Amino acid sequence: MATKEIIMSTKGLNKSFGATHAVVNLNINIEKGDIMGLVGENGAGKSTLIKILGGEHTVDSGQIIFQNKKISWHSSAEALKKGIAIVHQHPLLVSSLGAAENIFLGKEFSQGFFVDNIKAFEETKKLIQQYPIYKDLDIEKPVNEMSAGEKEVVEILKALSYEPEILILDEPTASLPKDETETLLKLLTELNKKRNITIIYISHKLEEAFEICNKITVMRNGKNIGTLTSENFNKDKLVKMMINQDISEFYPDKSTKSGKILLEANHLNSKILRDVSINVREGEILGLYGLMGAGMTELVESIYGLRHLQKGEIKMGNKRIEKPHVDMMIRNGVFLIPADRHQFGLFPSFTVSENITIAHLFSLFQEFLLIRSKENQAAIKQAKRVNLKYADINQSIKELSGGNQQKAIVARWLLKECGILIVDDPTVGIDIGAKRDIYRILRDLTSRNKGIIFISSEINEIIGMADRIYTMRRGKITAELSKTEINQENILKNIL
Amino acid sequence: MVNNNSILKILKNRELLIVAILLVIFFSLTSDRFMSTSNISNVLMNISVSGILALGLALVMINGDFDLSFASALGLLNLITLIFVDKGINVWIMFAFAIVGGILWGSFNAILVVRLRMHAFVATIATWTMCRGFIYWINGGKTFYGDYPDFMTVIGRGTILGFIPISSIIFIAAAIIIFLLANRSKFGRYIYAVGSNPDAAEYVGINSNRIRFTSYMLQGLLIGLSAVILSSKLTSAPATAGDGFQMTVIASAFLGATVFKPGLVNIGGSILGIFLLSIIENGLIMLGVPFYFKFIVQGLIIIGAVAFISLKNTRSEGPAIV
Repeated sequence: MATKEIIMSTKGLNKSFGATHAVVNLNINIEKGDIMGLVGENGAGKSTLIKILGGEHTVDSGQIIFQNKKISWHSSAEALKKGIAIVHQHPLLVSSLGAAENIFLGKEFSQGFFVDNIKAFEETKKLIQQYPIYKDLDIEKPVNEMSAGEKEVVEILKALSYEPEILILDEPTASLPKDETETLLKLLTELNKKRNITIIYISHKLEEAFEICNKITVMRNGKNIGTLTSENFNKDKLVKMMINQDISEFYPDKSTKSGKILLEANHLNSKILRDVSINVREGEILGLYGLMGAGMTELVESIYGLRHLQKGEIKMGNKRIEKPHVDMMIRNGVFLIPADRHQFGLFPSFTVSENITIAHLFSLFQEFLLIRSKENQAAIKQAKRVNLKYADINQSIKELSGGNQQKAIVARWLLKECGILIVDDPTVGIDIGAKRDIYRILRDLTSRNKGIIFISSEINEIIGMADRIYTMRRGKITAELSKTEINQENILKNIL
Repeated sequence: MVNNNSILKILKNRELLIVAILLVIFFSLTSDRFMSTSNISNVLMNISVSGILALGLALVMINGDFDLSFASALGLLNLITLIFVDKGINVWIMFAFAIVGGILWGSFNAILVVRLRMHAFVATIATWTMCRGFIYWINGGKTFYGDYPDFMTVIGRGTILGFIPISSIIFIAAAIIIFLLANRSKFGRYIYAVGSNPDAAEYVGINSNRIRFTSYMLQGLLIGLSAVILSSKLTSAPATAGDGFQMTVIASAFLGATVFKPGLVNIGGSILGIFLLSIIENGLIMLGVPFYFKFIVQGLIIIGAVAFISLKNTRSEGPAIV
């Protein structure tokens, strides 16, 4: 077997942020023409590494060699010009502009003093023909009207417009529905074959990495743990390398009993919901599953009092609630962890401690003026319970990795005993270790007779976690599956 | 080593404090009159009006809102108070009226910004202009003079021990209350929460709109309080009354956002900011610099502060380790 040419490599790379060692003495080799997977838990240093390669971070020490030359980028623009393009996890697009304007943002064609948009449109069409994956992409449509998949494609086209040697993708499929994910993966394989572009592919979805990569490198605690080539791909082995332990029991045991009904919602109607009735019992995880937009989020947010109900009532024990609102539901012990933690969960200017205590300030702290030490003490207790990794309880929440930010939000709702905890897709974009911590916490709650309403976008997760499932389609409940009826076939039958 | 570190830690995020101290030293070395008791009490009296306004503006800015109308609202309340006292209404009733009027003014802004969801900048440009129009209409653009009982000036001009202005004591009390409210009370945490992420606030049961509305009302109350001091101090109502405070107060908020909680408007920073700006303003006058240089300096300070904040924010994005 002929050895391939090494297009880029690092030697003894180190990078720290304060007390956090993000990348430690790292050596990696990237071979020309590969699709190299890069996997690891949150906080393993993957993002830091690609930001170093892409010129967004400088290194503390170590060497980067690109095309046989020692390099040190001064900016991401320089790296981009020399052939390294990064597609970020959250598309960095101007939402009011269309595809063409976004792709040529910062390198507009000009006609005298004016921007030549017609040229940009033409060039974009050329790009799309050159990389024929999304032939019917409407390049004039503003980005904020595009689907998540279309946005991702625009972002990739933008990167490709620089004709890079290496294309780095940071979890490109994290927010994509299944069909769009497949299209995207096909595109990447094609790009790699036809254009011989080297691709570095970061993902938490191992199946995807197996599908398109020809080798996968694992990082843990900022170090290179090893590389598997496609003939040795094996999920158990990979996970073991990532978390340094076996995945014998990935999902915790299901509950064996369910108690009395904690909450009942009857005949809920709204703009999206059509005559929805559900109940949740003590000690169970109730799963809600359906395609994107089927109404699961609307259902739980209506119960939580965030959305307007046209008709219907909610019953908790003997209490009837006609018009729920958030404050009242929280006082009744119904807590909700929203799906999008950046938009609806985190207070970015707050410390870890302040993020944990914010929901229960009035009920937990009697003093008129808050006492920080008391607050911190309460926060630390819950941080331990969710296995939160942080340097200082008073550090900014922004400094934590995605998985740890999510755990902090879970800790927020553990601070006070709940009756019912609603979790809306809580494990999106977080690593295996953090996922397991969250599963464990939820099971811990059901064993203490709490009720959980669990929404997931992953069918395996809902099968692994739920004791009972309601399937949904276009705002309606289509089936109720008991523990013995929960399987992939029954679920798919009822959501499509 | 340990000593050096702890000194650095104390100085961290307190750059402004050091600048303030250095400026005081500079001005007192270059001007004989700067440290005189009459000048100090003069500066303190000025700060009591602008400082109370700065507290109010900081409150709404922490929420993520803004207000440009406070200076003309102050002018209007000042005028109305003086007109009615001149007509024989009891001074204390009119002082109470000024405060209630301020709250109403804040509520009016809040209806536009919070209920009708207008952009705070646009809405308060409109109310600012309207308000100034009313002032000109009521008194034909002239300065209003009237007859006042002597004791009316106690709040604005009175001193204790001959050099501590009573108005400064009111300001210090207001500053302590608002500081504790914002930084230590649960309501204050809610204000910061709404400013940090209004959507997330809804999910933890905070009624963002109510918090924003309340902040505008509190700001109104503080505008009313500053009108009490101003009317008692001036006992006259020029058509432009209050204007001089506008940029100083706005600059104090941005300057204040460079310290304590870098990148965020905060009460402590605003207090320090208003002190610093007033010292500079006064110091320049003492050095005989023409008054209009103060505008240039204020503009430069706003630019400098905002540049400092945005540079600091991009640098402290920190490790986004995934």
